[in-house]
Order: sequence, then C-alpha cells, then structure tokens
Amino acid sequence: MIESLFVLSPTGKVIIEKHWHELIPRRVVDFFNDQVSKAMAEGEDVTREDVLPIIASPKYQLINVYRDGLTYLSPVTKEVDPMMVFEFLHRIPDIMQEYFGQVSETVIKENFVTVYQLLEEMMDDGFPLTTEPNSLKEIVPAPNILNKVITTMGATTSVSTRKMPNGMSNLPWRKAGVKYNSNEIFFDIVEEIDAIVDSTGKAVSCEAHGTIQTNSRLSGMPDLTLSFVNPRLVDDCSFHQSVRFNKWESDKVLSFVPPDGHFRLMSYRVNLPSQQNLPIQVKPSINIGANGAKFDITVSLRNTDGKAVENVVLTLPLHKSTSTLTAQCNVGQYMFDPVGKVLRWDVGKIVPRERAPVLSGSFGFGSASSEAAANAGYNIGVEFLINSHSLSGLKVDVLKLFNESYKPYKGVRTMTKAGRYQVRA
Amino acid sequence: MYNVDAYIKSLTSNAVKLSKKVQDGIVENTRDLRFENQAHFLDTNEDKMREIRKNLDSRYEKEKLDGLKRLIAMISKGRDVSEFFPDVVKNVASNSLEVRKLVYIYILRYAEQEQDLALLSINTFQKDLSDKNQLIRAMALRVMSGIRVPVISPIVMLGIKKCVTDLSPYVRKIAAHAIPKCYQLDPAQKDALMDIISTMLGDNSTFTIGSVLMAFNQVCPDRMDLIHPQYRKLCKMLVDMDEWGQITAMDLLLRYSRTQFLNPIGKSTAQPVSRTKKEKSVVKSFYSDDDSDISHHSSDSESDESEEENNSVDPDLAYLLKCALPLLQSRNSQVVLSVAKLYMHLAPAEDSYKIGRPLVRLLRTHREIQYVVLNNIVAIASQRPYVFDQFYQHFFVRSTDPVFIRNLKLDILTLIATESNITFILRELQEYVKSSNKGFVTQAIEAIGHCASNIPEMAESCLGGLLKLSYSKSDSVAAQSVVAIRRLLQQRPGDSVFMITQLTKALDEITEPLARANIFWLVGQYSSQLQTIAPDVLRKAAKTFATESESSKLQILTLGGKLVALEGTTSKTVSLLFQYVLNMARYDLDYGVRDRARFLRALVYGKQKVASATVDQDSDENDHENGQQESESTDQDAHDDDEGFEYSEKELNLSDHIKAILLSEKAAPVQENPSHGREQYKVGSMSLVLNRVVAGYEALPDWPKVQPDPSVRRLAATMEAPGYMNDRTGFGSDSAYAKSRQGQDSGPAGGKGRYDGQAGAYRGAETLDKFLESSDEETSSDEEDDSEEEETSDEEETSDEEVETSEEESGSGEEDEDDEEEEEEEEEEASSSEEEAILPAKRANGRRG
Repeated sequence: MIESLFVLSPTGKVIIEKHWHELIPRRVVDFFNDQVSKAMAEGEDVTREDVLPIIASPKYQLINVYRDGLTYLSPVTKEVDPMMVFEFLHRIPDIMQEYFGQVSETVIKENFVTVYQLLEEMMDDGFPLTTEPNSLKEIVPAPNILNKVITTMGATTSVSTRKMPNGMSNLPWRKAGVKYNSNEIFFDIVEEIDAIVDSTGKAVSCEAHGTIQTNSRLSGMPDLTLSFVNPRLVDDCSFHQSVRFNKWESDKVLSFVPPDGHFRLMSYRVNLPSQQNLPIQVKPSINIGANGAKFDITVSLRNTDGKAVENVVLTLPLHKSTSTLTAQCNVGQYMFDPVGKVLRWDVGKIVPRERAPVLSGSFGFGSASSEAAANAGYNIGVEFLINSHSLSGLKVDVLKLFNESYKPYKGVRTMTKAGRYQVRA
Repeated sequence: MYNVDAYIKSLTSNAVKLSKKVQDGIVENTRDLRFENQAHFLDTNEDKMREIRKNLDSRYEKEKLDGLKRLIAMISKGRDVSEFFPDVVKNVASNSLEVRKLVYIYILRYAEQEQDLALLSINTFQKDLSDKNQLIRAMALRVMSGIRVPVISPIVMLGIKKCVTDLSPYVRKIAAHAIPKCYQLDPAQKDALMDIISTMLGDNSTFTIGSVLMAFNQVCPDRMDLIHPQYRKLCKMLVDMDEWGQITAMDLLLRYSRTQFLNPIGKSTAQPVSRTKKEKSVVKSFYSDDDSDISHHSSDSESDESEEENNSVDPDLAYLLKCALPLLQSRNSQVVLSVAKLYMHLAPAEDSYKIGRPLVRLLRTHREIQYVVLNNIVAIASQRPYVFDQFYQHFFVRSTDPVFIRNLKLDILTLIATESNITFILRELQEYVKSSNKGFVTQAIEAIGHCASNIPEMAESCLGGLLKLSYSKSDSVAAQSVVAIRRLLQQRPGDSVFMITQLTKALDEITEPLARANIFWLVGQYSSQLQTIAPDVLRKAAKTFATESESSKLQILTLGGKLVALEGTTSKTVSLLFQYVLNMARYDLDYGVRDRARFLRALVYGKQKVASATVDQDSDENDHENGQQESESTDQDAHDDDEGFEYSEKELNLSDHIKAILLSEKAAPVQENPSHGREQYKVGSMSLVLNRVVAGYEALPDWPKVQPDPSVRRLAATMEAPGYMNDRTGFGSDSAYAKSRQGQDSGPAGGKGRYDGQAGAYRGAETLDKFLESSDEETSSDEEDDSEEEETSDEEETSDEEVETSEEESGSGEEDEDDEEEEEEEEEEASSSEEEAILPAKRANGRRG
C-alpha cells in the first residue's frame, strides 16, 4: 500500500504533499533530508544518485525516487512490493510530462491544482487506480491554451456536472470519440547502443535496445496490425498494454488499438554480434607518469552505411587530484571543468572519409595523493546520434487498418543513438 | 444649441468611459491570462487568507475556484486550514465539476478532524450515487468511502451494495475499492463485505476484477474457498487485466497455489546443493531450495519426505503458469517481477530459465528499479545460478553506476560464475581494481576470491590473478589481494606451497602492513611444508622487525614460535633467530607485542627455563594472553588459540603441547556473502531487498503435504458460462481482437452473456460455501498448520515433531473431506441446474429496471 507522497524540491522542500491513507507527519521529510545529507557527506565522490532508494527510519521505510532534481518520497509502514512503489512513483513524472510538457519545480508549482487532481485519480486509498494518460485526460482536463482563454475571459464554462463526458471507452487506454481531419500515425524507431569497450577497442559487452515511440492521430477505434520485414532480429521485448501478446507469439506482428497521442508501443533488445557492428570507434591512449599524464583520443567511423554521425560528445572524468590540463583538438572544441574534474570534448558532426578527429594533450596532478591518481583507470563516456539508421536493421513492412474506413498516413523514422556507451582507457 | 452641446459632451464622456471600461476589462483579463499559471495561489499572505472565506461564499464559480485553489495551496505548504471546513462543505453540491473536485480533495484531507461537519456532505453523495453519469456515481462513492468517519460505515455499505450491481465497470471497480475502506472503518462489517466480495468475484469485466481481488486480499485473504470456482477464470483473465490488477491477481494466485497444489518443484532426486557444480543443463537434478522457510541444513530430511511425492505438475497449476508467461513482456516492471515470483515459488526448477531474460531487460530502466531487480536477481541466482549465467555481460559494472548498483552487480557476478564464463568475469573484475573508489576495489578483489572458492576448477587462474594484483603499486590493492589469497589457501591447502613461495618472493616489495602480516601468518601456518623457505622468511623478518607494523610484529613472533615448535630445539639457527626476535619484542613500544613475546617465550622455552612449579602461573597468563590476543589480532579470521585445550589440569606441561597449541589446523574461514539470506524471502518483497523482516511480511504458506481435492475447481469450471468472454474489455487478447472486429457495441448479446456468466459463477461460490461449511474443521486445522509454519520460519529451524503431527492431522482431515465431498458434488449438480434457469432471468429483470 502506498500511503503518502511528498514531492521535494532540489533543496529538500516540500512542493506537493498528498496522503491517500492516513496522514503521515511532515517531519518524516526532515528525517529523510538528514539521511540524504549524511549519506552524501560520506565521501567526496558520493552524489545524490548514490543515495539508497529505500532508507529505513524508525517507523517508516522511506522509498524515494530521484529524477530530474526532484525527489518523490513515499514513506511506507508495512511490507509492500517495492518495485510496485517505484513503478508508480515513476509514473507520476511520466504523466506530468505528458500533461505539462516538462517536469520541474516551477512547472509543478504553476500547475499544482492539476497535479493534486491527478494524484487523486491515480491512486485510491493506497492502490493505483487510473494511470493511463488517455483515461486520465478524460477525468482531469489537460491545461491547454483554449481552456485558459475560456476560463480567464470569465465565461464560466468549466464543465458542469451535467455536461461531463459519460462515455468512458471500454479500452482504458483509448478515449472514445476521437476525431481528426487527417488521419496519421508516426513511428519513431530509436535504437540505443549500450557498450563497454576495452582499451584495445574490443567490445566487452554490447547490445542494442530499441523503442518504437508512436504518435497516433487516428479517428475512431482503429485496429492496427504492424508487421516487420525482419522480426526475428528482436530478441526480447515488452509491449504497450494495447498490444496483443498472442499475435506476436504466433505471427510476429504487432496487433493493437492505439491510444491517442504519444505512447511507447514496444521496446526490444537486439543482441549484437560483438565488434563489427559498432558504428564508431574511440581509441584513447593515456600514459600516466608520476606527476601527470599525456593522452590522445582518436575518433573514427566504422560501419555507418555511409551516414554522418552527429552530436558526438566525449566526456572523460579525471582523477580528483588533477589540477592542470592543456589540450588541443583538430575538430570541435573541448572544455575542462576544474571543479568536477571532467574533460568534455564536443566533436560535433563526423562525416565519413574525412580526417579523424583527434584530441591530445596532457594533465598534471596536484601534490596530494598523486600516487593513487597514477593507478586510477579512466573511462570515456561517448554520446552520438545517427539519423535514419537502424543498427539492428529492423524495418517496418506494412501497416494494416481494420475497423475504420479511412486510409491512414504512416510515417516511420529511424535513429541510432549511444546509450550507455563507455570506453575504457 | 446648449442642449446639443451638452448632449455631445455627455456622449463623448460616456464613450470615453466605455472605452476605458473595455480597456480595463481587457487589461484585467489579459493579466489573468498571463497569470493563469497557478503559482500565484501559492503566495499566501494574511489579506489573501481573509479573502478566502469571501470567495467561498461568492455566487461566482470563478471566485469559488480561486478560494479553493488557495486552500489547496495552503495544504501543500503544510498549513492547517481546517477552519474553513464549514465554508467548503457548503459547496459540495456545486454544479461545477471543477469546484466539486477541489472540494473533495479538501474534504478527504480534513474529514477526520471535522467529523461532524463532514456528515453534512453525506447527503449529497447519496444523491449522486443515483446520478446518470457513471463518473459522478463513482466519484460520490469514492469520496464517501474515503471520509474516515466510522459513523457513516452503514451508509458506505449501502452505497457499495448499490454500486456493485452498477452497469458501468468503472463504478463497480470503485465499489470494489470501497470495500477495504469500509472494512477499516468498521471491522464488524466483515461478513457482509465478504458476501459482497464473493458476489463480485463472479464479475467478468477485466476492468473490475483486479480491484475485487485487491479487496479480497485486504479483507479476507484466507478464504481460498471463494477462489476455487473462479480459479480458472482468473487465470484466463490474467492477461487482459490492467497492470495493477495483474499484480494483485498474481499475488493471490501464488498464495492460492501454495495451499492447493502439491509441490511440483523437483525435489525427489535432490542432490546436495553446491554451486560449484556445472549445473547448467542438468536442471532437473538441481535441488531447488525454493521454500522460503526451509534452511539449507534441513534440506536432506526434506527431500526424503518428498520422495514419495508425485513430481508431475497439476494441470491447473500448469495452466496458471502458462497464462502468466506472456506477462513477462509487460512494460510494468512489477508485473514482470510478479511473474518471476510465480515461477520461482511455483514452477518446476527447469522452467525458471524463462524468467532470466525479462528480468535482465529491466536493468535498462530507472536506477531505483534496477536496484530492486538486482536484489531479486541476487536472491534467485543464489538458488538457481543457471538462470542468469549466460547474461553475465549485463552485470558488468559501468563507471557511471551508483554505488549500490555496483555492489549488487559484483555479488551477482560471483554467484553466476561458471567454467564457461569465468575467464570473462575474471578479466572484468581485474579491470575494476583500477577504479579510484577504494571500497569498490576491495569488493572487486573479494569477488575474485569468491569466484575461486565457488569454482574450484578455476581457483588456480583466480589465484594467479590475485597474485598479480598483490604486486600492485597501490597498497590497498596489494593488501586486499593477499588477504583474499590467504582466505583461499585456507580453503585449499593443496595449492599453498607454490602460492606461498610466490608470495614470499614478493615480500620485499609489499609494504602494506596487513598484507605482510598475512604472509607471515601463512608461512607460519604451512611451515611444515615450507621447511626450506620458512626459516629464511624468519631471518628476513628479524632483520626488518624494528620497522614492521604491530600486526606484522605479532605475526612474526607467532611465525617464530611455530618454527621452533615444529623443529623442536634441534635447529639452532631457528631457535637463535626466534630468541633474537623475542628480545626485540621485549622492548617494543606496544604492550601487545611485549605480551605476545612473553607468552611465546614461556610457552616455547617454558620447560627449560621456567621451573615446573610456575607452570600454573603460566597457564593463568596464558588465559590472559588469549583474551588479549583476540582483541589485538585485527582482521585475522583464524585465531592462534586452541579452543579445545583444557587449562584446568594443573599438572599439565604446556610445552609438551606446543604443536597442538600453535600448529593446530585452523578452520577455513567461511566466505561471507553480504547478500546471503535473501533467498529465504518472497521474490519481490521489501524484506528481500532489505534482507530483514519488514513489519507486515508474510511468508509463503507451505505446500500441502497431501493433495487437496482438485475437483473443487473443475466443479465450477464446468458451470462457467460461455458468455463471459464477450464482455472483455480486451487487453490484447484474442477475444478482444474478435470483439473489436465486431464493432464497438457488441450489443445486448454480449451484455446478456456476461450476466449469465456472473450468475453461473455466483452460484458456484454459493454452493461451494455450503460445501465448505461441512468441512470447516478441516480447513481450520489447515490454517493452524500454516500459521505455525509461518511463526517458525523466522527461526529457520522447524522442529520435526511439530511438522509431523500437524501433517497427520491434516492428512486425516483430508480423508474425511474426500468422502463428504463426493456426496456434495451430486447435490450440487442437481441444485445448480435449477438455479441456472432462475438466476439469469432475475438478472435480466434487474438490468431493465
């Protein structure tokens, strides 16, 4: 049972307080803040992210989610499946994102009445009730410009009890009576590569995670069947609630009645054969001496189907005792953050068959603890993006529509991104 | 003329006024527009507070809304605004839905404090229960049941009864949610509420059923008899329920299955557990210690007991497992974990590989969810490592992982290491040693040690790796590796000679005190096999004695003592060396070292130098020294004292026993895995994550020893109406597929079908009630059995006697039941056909009205 929720600002102040069961006194938040600062004082490299998601207090288990600077704190008194609490707590910012476009302290404050209404509907006496964005939007209207104008112009057109929509559709994720002039549906296939690459350029672990983000703007109750050219590529997948499991099991097609608006249709995993599939190679070499190190990092393209790689960013966290850094690069620009001790190299766009970007230079350790620094290992975080490229090669074949008579426009985009991509030096 | 002038003047002035007014209005409104973000309500000074009351009494909706919004802002700032209750409650019947919703939020917050005033609102809710709009009806019941004022429980009860038969599944869902709330208000209503639940269990809307099961779990979790007739239906509906309903349903079905089926988890061919075996494909023979309350030690007796058990899976149980399988592809991580829970606690061990991949998939999500998944993987892997061993790459640590994730991943890597993946894991672990986080480095080294002791075949390469690390420039790495080597060698005396020789070679380079102390101890302990090297180590140590750390000094002394004890006093060099060390120690600054020297001198040379009369004194001292030593020797698992030694004998000559005292076999240290013990908890529970019992944790019921009657389920299933499939809300099932093809409104046929189904199921429940009344005795004894098991589970040791007696009881009860049951079945069938005719008609009537 999820009894209460406190949404805390980055400074630990209560922004939202909601109790679904009994009241839980606010001092629990003070206790929580104390524990967090205590945990963070333990070591210099301990961040807010390292604070345990479940903290025990004398009376409660403080289940907390930290996301985008905000803390969603739910104290529970009794045994509960913690995963369910986390899943629910994460749904809250998800829904707020859907409603307000972004989530931050100011956004919540600007819309706090709506937030309270949402929280009221999402949970009933400690058990999740309505968490589907489409159903919620029928009960709690999302703020949009039109609503704003109407209410401010003094015309009290706030829905009277008589006018309230009666038709809850019998598919909880889809509104009834949706109407569009042009019927379109867009699929964004986004694949992220997770990889750990060792210093020799060999992938220690490597896999691709794909999601199909969908934006449906179709009228009525369309029943869609989406098929792929090569569905066998998909190794393990999870679906939106609307997708029929059995159809996937038997025919490897996605059969579903889509929710209205944005939703994630499917996520899947592709196991990549090691090595040759990585689109980008980062070759670092760091020679560490007693008082400092010389380094150079080369980035080269491989296997991108001749496409350019964009938004390439490399980050190299350096040892805490690093005091000075000098470097030069032939492409892009680099930045050294002397407080966080992070070297960030913004490479930008790399076009195939152009000269490979190189960053080289040296850094020096401060006097203290240089011995430990000399033995430390280095990890380079890599970010990049390749448009209209699918690493796995997954391709949409046909979209069929049943149950409605119009012909929908189907848009498909693919994109490959770096996920948790890390190179060891 | 004047008139015209005046007229024009007034006209212009009016026009000006008008335009000004219009302008003002626009400015006003646009300002509002800009401020429509609700943040300005959060600004609360005293003036505004006074306005609130005025606002709430206003005739204008907008002002009321303003007032209410300001109140909610106050609540969220932590201010007590209960003083406004009377003003707010007046608005409960407002025509504006928006006003009402805010009023509800306020009332729910303060009703408990203002009980009498809260009663004023009840009337409106009661009226709303008959509203045409389903959302209004639902909202009325929700708020009414949420007002925590015990007096109104009968009214809530009435409301629930009214809504249970509502045509809208949403309202029925809300009614189900109201049941536990009503129960909390007034526990005396339990029986009536149970009746309602048993009726509602017949509901065939996938939208509603999850909430009904939730109510069941809250109000009467032990009434498994109510589930019998619905069991197969619930399994079938599982895939179509909403995600939260799926979680509740699986929870319930897990408990149900644990009380109704025999243990299918292959135990008969149990082999003693040892993770060291290559267990990968031979899962059938794998002893699965799945039971939450059976400790490892009682495993043998347990497997004997279940020898006669039939290992085949009950078809009903198999059906549940089959129905749950697709849910592994849910996007809700708790649903995935719940399926994993079912498979871990219900399915034969060879099926559990199915949960590996989906659980690993969850590692891609938020860190909090990763945390829970990893904890559960640790628990699962410690029992069935083969589920995860092929996914080892996913547990490799990234430099960006939070600390708690790293540690869990290390645990898992050591648990799932097999011969086939150990080389990769080992290489990876050695990579972690480079991290700048000391705690992490230590754990990585320990993990290598764990791997070696788990897979003896690989121990050599692990040791090799550790040895390399012990030369590391980083002191802490070197020290940790030596400690890990020492632990390993104690477990595997066979390897020691070579390894220790290697270590002693490195002695000159190793500076970390802890590492040196460990090497000295090792040399001393295995000196009988190191007769050529050991004295030389002592020689070297004697040279550097003065500069050694305290712990090293202690170990050098011990080493000397051991060598002398081993060779007697025959070897003069050793003896001289030892005496030299003793003399050095005598003047040491540290009293611990001085004490140890004195003790060893007395022990070794006692016979020669001390008169036998003083032996008594010595043994006293010995006692003292032992205490001292225990507190002194830090991080030394094996103490150099011999517990079996008796000091009471006065005539004892200690020096005759030197070998026994100093060179006794030391028990190998137990590898302590911090995650050990998790497997005793239910998968997915908070207790598992925290590795301790959290208040409210209920262990799983034990499998029944004797098969409970399986026909209770079949009985109801045959009566299950064919119609219920038509009323599915269709969460992706084939039936929904068919339905959406049919079109939106499946029309009266579908509706009717549902009521048939409901009636059928209802009947089943009722007759089953009757049937179970007769076998009440039996169920109660069963329950006792369960509670007993639960109590003892914490202590980990169930007394065998108790179990046996209770088994007998339930066994005899079972037989009685079987006899009665047959008779009942016949009766039941006769009566059911009658009712079948009546009930749908009744329902149909009700529907029309």
